[in-house]
Amino acid sequence: MPLAKNKHMITATSLTKSYGETTVLNIEQLEIPKGQCFGLVGNNGAGKTTFFSILLDLIKTSTGEIISNDIAVAQSEEWKTFTSAFIDDSFLIGYLTPEEYFYFVGELRGIDKAAVDLFLETYVDFFNDEILNQKKYLRDFSKGNQKKVGLIATFIGNPKVVILDEPFANLDPTTQIRLKQLIKAETEKRELTLLISSHDLNHVTDVCNRIVLLERGAVIMDKETTAKTLQELEDYFSA
Amino acid sequence: MPTSLFQLSRKQLLRAPQLEAKLAIKILMGFVILYFGGSLLFLGIAVYPILSDQFPERDPISIINSVLVLIFIFELIIRYFLQQLPVTEIKSFLLLSIPKKRIIHNVLFRSMLSVYNAIPVLLYLPISISMFKDDYALDQVIAWWVAVTAFSLCLNFISFLANKNNLALAGFVVLLILLYLGESYLDIEILRAVGYFFDALITQPLWVLVPLGIFVLLYQITFNFLKNNLNLEGSLAAKKEVANAGRYDFLDVFGSHALFLKNDLRLIIRNVRPRNIVLMSFLFLFYGLFFFTQDNQPEAMLVFASIFISGGFLLTYGSYVPAWDSEYYAFLMSQNLSYKKYLDSKWRLMTFAIVVSTVLSLPYLYFGIKIYLLILSGAAFNVGLGTWITLYGGLLNKQPLKLNVKAKAFENTQAFSGKLFLMIIPKMVLPVLLYIIPASLFNETAGYLTLAASGVLGIVFKNQILAQMVKLFAKEKHEMLNAFSQK
Repeated sequence: MPLAKNKHMITATSLTKSYGETTVLNIEQLEIPKGQCFGLVGNNGAGKTTFFSILLDLIKTSTGEIISNDIAVAQSEEWKTFTSAFIDDSFLIGYLTPEEYFYFVGELRGIDKAAVDLFLETYVDFFNDEILNQKKYLRDFSKGNQKKVGLIATFIGNPKVVILDEPFANLDPTTQIRLKQLIKAETEKRELTLLISSHDLNHVTDVCNRIVLLERGAVIMDKETTAKTLQELEDYFSA
Repeated sequence: MPTSLFQLSRKQLLRAPQLEAKLAIKILMGFVILYFGGSLLFLGIAVYPILSDQFPERDPISIINSVLVLIFIFELIIRYFLQQLPVTEIKSFLLLSIPKKRIIHNVLFRSMLSVYNAIPVLLYLPISISMFKDDYALDQVIAWWVAVTAFSLCLNFISFLANKNNLALAGFVVLLILLYLGESYLDIEILRAVGYFFDALITQPLWVLVPLGIFVLLYQITFNFLKNNLNLEGSLAAKKEVANAGRYDFLDVFGSHALFLKNDLRLIIRNVRPRNIVLMSFLFLFYGLFFFTQDNQPEAMLVFASIFISGGFLLTYGSYVPAWDSEYYAFLMSQNLSYKKYLDSKWRLMTFAIVVSTVLSLPYLYFGIKIYLLILSGAAFNVGLGTWITLYGGLLNKQPLKLNVKAKAFENTQAFSGKLFLMIIPKMVLPVLLYIIPASLFNETAGYLTLAASGVLGIVFKNQILAQMVKLFAKEKHEMLNAFSQK
């Protein structure tokens, strides 16, 4: 029935991805409701980036599909109008200045220059005077600052779905804390379905209201975040 | 211990990703090198006897000596653009307990093993042997060969210094210009003096110590340069440029395509590789000077020339579309980007370049209205059909490109891919057929009209062709992403 279907923003069904003999992802059923802040953890090779890549239709599935807001991601481009992501530095255009990059992203989402400028003003603290008006190309910024640009750009235009792959990695301590505050503010402002993967168990249990643990492509743990979740995760990973 | 640095570079080759492809390239590269090497060798063997026959009253070696300076300058220019010194791996060695001196000597030595340093052997050695057969004494011959080889190796280092240090480059260029002007207008015979020097060297072999001395000097200079800069801040480090925030608002006339066109313009201006390619594509404008000045060229050649003249940018830059965007392709594919607008803007970019080239080639009217009509027809073909054929080839090719790194000669596997050869056929052979068949059956005008009409057809049906390209583009998306993510 249509009503039940709309409850979830993102649904993954019978999802597998294999390279030759090795299966790197195997998810029977995964549903992410609208407005959830979804945390994905796992050791290296667990399948987190694979999952995000499939969600963004950057790689093809071996079986199964992901449906985002009732749109089959692999079959239509419509999901791009409300989805935004920052996976790694291949999501930056190195020869643009941060301003040019922001305006480019803005224009792709129908946000004009003035609106982008207004938007950027709210992140002055996060930028810490190191991003705007620097007269440098993105490729000449430090990795942390490049990441800041990519992260903020994902929020331009208020997309309904935002995907961040290891956003806390490479950021300095102040920025990590500011990023957490930023994420909490965004999710409070509006209905935002946010997917984050991270190696930082502290941050991810702080920010996300649901944690899914992947190990070698399979879902091992899937629970709503409680005060005990951090300890449970630490126990799992120290085993 | 010294050998293990070599072993490391060996391992670097053997363990490179896509080893099979890279090996195939190296083998093909080997064939090309064999071809060029063979030509040089042939030249070296043949030049002495030819000169002896043609100019019996002069010493052939004297003639060769007088042009040596030109050969050196030419060699230097080629080396400057194409030769690279193996400095990129130095950073990782800096942290190990290998003395800096050893690293530098290793780098300099490996640079001397470069393919370009085979020139002294291929070109000059046969000449020396001919000299010997022509009754010159052994010490004279050896002195001459050592001297030319030493100079050639000096060019090795000069090219490196000029590449790394803009002052050095400016210095050399200014020096050359001054010498040339001095020679032409003031009769200061410095360039010719090089020829005299070599003549003198043959009579008095001990002069060989001079080029050897210069070689040692340059080696030392390069050594010191590397020693001073072998840290993260020196000129070996990546340059931090001041951004020129060009707004390029004049492109707004293109409306919704301006977004992509602006980025393409920035891409070309701000990155070394596309910049070099665009500069190179200017040279294509002069192609006609080869062909139109010779009489009785087969008509096929004239058609080639007309395609090249307006199609320089199309053939050089266009062949790599959309690989230019490979570094951030995943980003583009995940954004709300209209494939149609994206591809259309690429088409407009190439069309713009073709039109500009056609206008810039107006001087070819000097060769007669018929030649220019041919150029115009070729331009029409390029715009209407050539652009799409090139784009099609680019979509099938899928090789990633690093933007801000100088292209190495023969690095480009695309040059040898079978698919590219397949693309050459429609791009070059088709226009020739379109002209020649009607021209033979009827007359020249029929030829022009057919060629031009094919282009016009392409323009008329542009939207249909674009729609097909968009479908292909979407279909190839995952393979492209996969190919572009291989480093």
